[in-house]
Amino acid sequence: MPSKLFILLKSPHEYRDLDAVAALGGDDRVGVLLFEDATLFPALKDRRDELIDVADEIYVMGDDLDARGLRSKVGKEFQVIDYPRAVDLIMDEFDQTITL
Amino acid sequence: MGTLCIQLRSGTMMNMDSNVAVKLAKAAMDKGHKVTMFGYGEAVTLIKDGQDPKRFPNVGKEISKMTAEGLEVVVCETCCVARGIHRGEEIRGTKIGSLTNDFSRMAAEADRLVTIAR
Repeated sequence: MPSKLFILLKSPHEYRDLDAVAALGGDDRVGVLLFEDATLFPALKDRRDELIDVADEIYVMGDDLDARGLRSKVGKEFQVIDYPRAVDLIMDEFDQTITL
Repeated sequence: MGTLCIQLRSGTMMNMDSNVAVKLAKAAMDKGHKVTMFGYGEAVTLIKDGQDPKRFPNVGKEISKMTAEGLEVVVCETCCVARGIHRGEEIRGTKIGSLTNDFSRMAAEADRLVTIAR
């Protein structure tokens, strides 16, 4: 099955919606990798649920969570990762990355 | 192992994009991947020699260290000149080059291309 890893860097408030993830993801296996202010997604119920709807797997950069004191906000649907793991996702586990 | 190309458009002081890119590049190099990095727009500040941020991570220092370890960093000359950055002012080991010649080659040679920009 083809796979796409979407990289989100911006705050949930800067994304009007996540339709692009669903549209570009199609029937592929869809992963989402959250860096920087995008690590706020797990903390905002509505945006969190919207993200869970469009993604098969969701990864969150631990460094950026800790920088914002958000680690306690992360539910079971999110996998907290480090940079070596992010490299594996990009280089080996997904066919391509799309940054939104 | 593979080749990872990272594309950047944010300035080093605008947000944490260049810090994310540098940490991603370091992790990939530590795993044995080859890493190339291309910057344009405000990202040309990446290679400016003499960066001295007081209370922020010094991306220039990281870039300087990593180019000595094999990281290839090129930025767009048109964007540099537009911002008053000229050849000879880049960090040793980095290059002021072009989208046409350098980025196209880097993208073609890469197994994966990642954009860290907004």
